[in-house]
Amino acid sequence: MVDMTELTGMHSGASAAKRTASRRAAEWRLKLYGILAIFLAGAALVALLWSVLGTATGALTETYLKMPITIEAEEIDPDGTGDPKIIRRADFTGLTKDMLKAEFPNATGRTTRRQLYDLTSAGAAFELADMVSEDPSLVGQTIEYPFLASDVTDLYLKDDFGKLREKEVSGLLSIAVVDDEATVTSSVNDFSEALGRVKDGLIDEARVLRRQAALQDNGVKFYERELEAATTADETSSAEAQLKTRRAARDNLLAKAEDLERRSTTASGSEELGKGNLSVLIKAGGGWFKGTQIDTSLIEADVIIPPTEAIEDSADWQLFVTDLPENARKVTDNQIIWIESLKEKDSVDVVFNSRFFTSGDSREPELAGILGAAVGSFWTMVVTFALAFPIGVAAAIYLEEFAPKNKFTDFIEVNINNLAAVPSIVFGLLGLSLFLGVFGVPRSAPIAGGLVLALMTLPTIIIASRAAIRAVPPSIRDAAVGLGASPLQASVHHVLPLAMPGILTGTIIGMAQALGETAPLIMIGMVAFIVDIPQGITDSASVLPVQVFRWSDFPERAFEARTAAAICVLLLFLVVMNAIAVFLRKRFERRW
Amino acid sequence: MLDDLRSMERVMADDDIKIVAKGVDVFYGDNHAIKSVDVNIQNRAVTAFIGPSGCGKSTFLRCLNRMNDTIDVCRVTGDMLLDGQDIYAKDVDPVQLRARVGMVFQKPNPFPKSIYDNVAYGPKIHGLAKNKSELDEIVEKSLRRAAIWDEVKDRLDAPGTGLSGGQQQRLCIGRAVATAPEVLLMDEPCSALDPIATAQVEELIDELRQDFTVVIVTHSMQQAARVSQKTAFFHLGDLVEYGETDKIFTNPEDPRTESYITGRIG
Repeated sequence: MVDMTELTGMHSGASAAKRTASRRAAEWRLKLYGILAIFLAGAALVALLWSVLGTATGALTETYLKMPITIEAEEIDPDGTGDPKIIRRADFTGLTKDMLKAEFPNATGRTTRRQLYDLTSAGAAFELADMVSEDPSLVGQTIEYPFLASDVTDLYLKDDFGKLREKEVSGLLSIAVVDDEATVTSSVNDFSEALGRVKDGLIDEARVLRRQAALQDNGVKFYERELEAATTADETSSAEAQLKTRRAARDNLLAKAEDLERRSTTASGSEELGKGNLSVLIKAGGGWFKGTQIDTSLIEADVIIPPTEAIEDSADWQLFVTDLPENARKVTDNQIIWIESLKEKDSVDVVFNSRFFTSGDSREPELAGILGAAVGSFWTMVVTFALAFPIGVAAAIYLEEFAPKNKFTDFIEVNINNLAAVPSIVFGLLGLSLFLGVFGVPRSAPIAGGLVLALMTLPTIIIASRAAIRAVPPSIRDAAVGLGASPLQASVHHVLPLAMPGILTGTIIGMAQALGETAPLIMIGMVAFIVDIPQGITDSASVLPVQVFRWSDFPERAFEARTAAAICVLLLFLVVMNAIAVFLRKRFERRW
Repeated sequence: MLDDLRSMERVMADDDIKIVAKGVDVFYGDNHAIKSVDVNIQNRAVTAFIGPSGCGKSTFLRCLNRMNDTIDVCRVTGDMLLDGQDIYAKDVDPVQLRARVGMVFQKPNPFPKSIYDNVAYGPKIHGLAKNKSELDEIVEKSLRRAAIWDEVKDRLDAPGTGLSGGQQQRLCIGRAVATAPEVLLMDEPCSALDPIATAQVEELIDELRQDFTVVIVTHSMQQAARVSQKTAFFHLGDLVEYGETDKIFTNPEDPRTESYITGRIG
């Protein structure tokens, strides 16, 4: 028997205090875990936004190179028609190239020329063509036109390939120019630091050579054993021959390595500046020079931009060293010099990149925009909503309010719940075989994507809507039915408005899921490269997440920033959708 | 004096029968909830159903306008005649029937809409008003009849759910009255109300008797004695006794009735 009066005593005393303390501690621990979890989630979110937004800033600006160009009448409109169609078809690309060649006359040779043409975007000439065809009076004039810079130029100006660092110099400079080559001498050892770096690199080179020599040495040992084991004259002679070539190769490599090591330890001595070394650029007397051979106070250099005056014991000169060797960056030394000289002339304009928000996709990063994908997403969402919302809500009302409770409806219910768990790519396959294959819905079009995403969204909407309808108190139904409303009237007039906030929440969750979906759209061809902005639900289109996926796959570095910017647009889309949902929910929300 | 008037009325209206129930059985699945009940409900009078919890009085009330149809497992047998017409006949539309037999529920359940919309909903769906002014008139008359007009006439656009409990219940009565039914069923209409609101609703029921046949389920025997002319006592699914209210309360025939009204069972 338990004596209840004795139990009452257990509420006071030391043991009771201990129990209370342990309960409080458990509560405190739970609270701590909760705060930790929220903090971790918040930190993850901040890190994500930080990285995405930080990367996306690179896509916020674009660069223009202002250069004078003469719209040659005999090139563009030889017959003087002034017809915009003829002007548009003219060779503006050639005109742009001629302009660049005139701007930098020292750029000769195929490779150098190609580098020069790469300064501006391929789209710049088309924009110029548009402008002149709209205003034919420009033909024959010389205008200062802002050419859209290429992605490489743009990235260099955003320090994406490292900075061009100026080094301190103290000597007086003299330059002797012969044709395109120059001999640069300083009165003091201004180049010893750069030379030291080159010499440090020699040790690594020597190490590589020694490793190759060791491999040859292994071969030597192998053929020595072969020679000992040889029984016939043939075997002996072939082994001897092998041994001879291997020994020669090994000794040659070792000699080279020793030579490199010796050169690296002596402070002076001329060394070659290759593509693997940090580039050394010199600016003096209005000209630019690129070092090819370096000594402590002497540099052999290529003339990239010829000087305008003779340089003799001049103190007015600058020495630049790049952060990265030429073979580790997309922008070449020549391009750096050209861009820097344009910058000096104040010809570089950096402006807000409105193009990104107003144009469609492009293979050129500087021309690529997000509008096509955003509009595609919009149309796809319109189709998805128009299909999934009415069907989903109608299905939910039928199942909750009208369907008899039996095995068959149970079966349907289980299957709806199962559908919500089907991987989205399966819906894509279904859409491919059914909508595209059987019904002939146009490939890559928002209607096809919308149909597939509607299938995917339906179960989410049905489940959420049923829960919302079930949560409406039965007294409201009784009141309506008691007044003589038909079951349909009771559902539509009273139950549905009360369930609407919940239904909308479910719908927005489903739509947000659909908006971020990539896999099923790949199946129905929405990964295609589409430049035009879709005008309706049957035009070919891409969508935002697919655009993100495709851009992230492109090798051009400038797409990195654009991918991040596209992610930001996608997130913005989601925020707007959620804001609409919250607004609608507030409007429909009523107490009962 | 009042009692005399009442008994006079009763005598006058005695053979005017609105609803006839003959051998009505109700089953919830295997549960036999109402056992062969015979009852004649008088026109333009208040009939009270009393009895202990779970005795089937609410179930029987809900049979009168086929509200039990919404429950899948519920089955009704026997004859239930409204003005001589079987309401469970195949050709009777329950939606039409509920327009003729209105209902007020235990808990006030106004729609989460304006007071005006609450009352106007019934007339709208049944097409009782030809235009807005007619609808306005119906709403005003119904609210006057529910004795709540003066309290809400200045805020017809305010939500019905914002009223107090007693006001809400009167609004629900007004809403039921607005569809112009012949019979008004009330399922414990005062159980969620305080004594003052209860008194107001009881007064209202007494007035409604002039135009409607009122059937009320109540737990309170005092209330049954105050508002009804006829009383039916249900016990464990049986209709034990049915007759004049005065007689049931003063001189019951069945010992079970006596035990219940004197508080010994229930």
